[in-house]
Amino acid sequence: MTWETVIGLEVHVQLSTKTKLFSGASTSFGSEPNTQVDLIDLGLPGVLPVANKEAFYKAIRFGLATNAEINQVSMFDRKNYFYPDLPKGYQITQMEKPIVGKGSIVINVDGSEKLINITRAHLEEDAGKSIHDLFDGETGIDLNRAGTPLLEIVSEPEISNAKEAVAYFKAIHQLVTFLDICDGNMSQGSMRCDVNVSVKKVDDAILGTRAEIKNINSFKFIERAIHFEVARQIKLLEKGESIVQETRLYDSVKNETRSMRSKEAANDYRYFPEPDLLPVVISDNELEEIKSTLPELPKQKEIRFVNEHNLEESEAKILASSKAMANLFEDASEKTKDSSLIAKWLVGDVSALLNKDNISIEESKLSSINFAKLIERISDNTISGKIAKSVLEEVWISGNDIDAIIEEKGLVQIQDESVLEDIAKKIIDANPDQVNAYKGGKDRLFGFFVGQVMKETQGKANPQGVNKILKKLLNS
Amino acid sequence: MDKETVTTISNLSRLAFDKENEEKITKDLENIIKFVDQLDSVDTSNIEPLTSPLEKTAKTRADEVTSKNRKEKFLKNAPNANEDYFLVPRVVE
Repeated sequence: MTWETVIGLEVHVQLSTKTKLFSGASTSFGSEPNTQVDLIDLGLPGVLPVANKEAFYKAIRFGLATNAEINQVSMFDRKNYFYPDLPKGYQITQMEKPIVGKGSIVINVDGSEKLINITRAHLEEDAGKSIHDLFDGETGIDLNRAGTPLLEIVSEPEISNAKEAVAYFKAIHQLVTFLDICDGNMSQGSMRCDVNVSVKKVDDAILGTRAEIKNINSFKFIERAIHFEVARQIKLLEKGESIVQETRLYDSVKNETRSMRSKEAANDYRYFPEPDLLPVVISDNELEEIKSTLPELPKQKEIRFVNEHNLEESEAKILASSKAMANLFEDASEKTKDSSLIAKWLVGDVSALLNKDNISIEESKLSSINFAKLIERISDNTISGKIAKSVLEEVWISGNDIDAIIEEKGLVQIQDESVLEDIAKKIIDANPDQVNAYKGGKDRLFGFFVGQVMKETQGKANPQGVNKILKKLLNS
Repeated sequence: MDKETVTTISNLSRLAFDKENEEKITKDLENIIKFVDQLDSVDTSNIEPLTSPLEKTAKTRADEVTSKNRKEKFLKNAPNANEDYFLVPRVVE
């Protein structure tokens, strides 16, 4: 039997506003528990929420960048459920009239592109945090996050496998960071997703019963959770059993999904229009204003890098893939004209270090100023490419200034031809056998002499200079 | 309105009532719904749902921090808390 997987994603993006969706409390991450809480976040009697305009603007930026319909009149609804980290007993969200309607995004899987339609993107408030493992027999509640604006982006069930799901999540991540509407910090929970998974026989027209896996916050876990869930469902169906529509939790330690029946019983949210908030209207002028401030998006950047800097398409794609990478490239390009050298270093050595440590540019110690300086020192011949590699590794660890490292370690390239000639003569005098063999026709020994000079100078000799001088001395 | 529906609603809204009141409440709810159901006799097929009686739109705020840290006051007001957190009976995931 051949099975087909159908996946839809609900991605929650924490919008990078300074304050909450309905109160003037700060949203900054990592503060002491319960220090960023307003009367409104607590849902105390008599308070009224007031919507943060900036959250709407950020949501609209996403809508415009995904060619979506923007609802210039949007409304809020109440979603009712009880949980200790939700003080009001309801979440304010948008059900009937979300700010962003139908749109789409292009994902990239193994070099080929696929368009995924987006059903909607709506604003809602986040809940607080429950801490289960800190207190004996009790759960601690931190409400700093309560009321933080989220944009929930709902995809159509058009994703066919785990790989595509990860690509979709990455595409959203890339877009929201380029748009500057979310910091994209996954470990701080700035992006989380719920994955709806179902399987059906290839020929079946109707979708199978789906399970919803809640709250996954890493690329890796999305992939693993889907693999596990698809296998689980197929196994059940092949035994002739049926799938229960339910909410499941992914346990990354055991690498399995399991039922969260506790929440199941309360799965009737009794939505109704939020009586405390009037419709929010976005004027034509505001919409135009937001349009005019949209930044260059990854695809456009890629094309420009190819056209303006003569880069290879594959290089441009990597450089445009993250905002931080693109910034490094552009900052360095202003300092030195050798774009292909910059690209080569970013796509090569810098990417290799990032992969090795499994971090992003933002998390690394390499600043754009320092990187530009490194390229400058290579192109003005202060250091050789080989030395540059070790300097980069040093900066990677220490974050120190490039020039300071070069000076402190005495890494400046030896260019003075008379100095190089003295060293070359010394090497030639010390190796008469090799000289005779070379002169007798063993051309390959030339590399031996270059190597010896490099060794003598600890790699600091200018390679072109060494070649020139050795050729002159050996061929005379 | 049957007993099961009443039980579900009371569970969802976390409202408890005595067993002896169950019948009375069921009957009351039935009457309330009957009363409200009269509205169904009006043809609303071409009318946009009214979500607010006010023909106004929302005032919004600028994205500026206006709130202060009132942690101590808030925690003191809670039925149970320590110096950092509100405490509730353990919620098992």
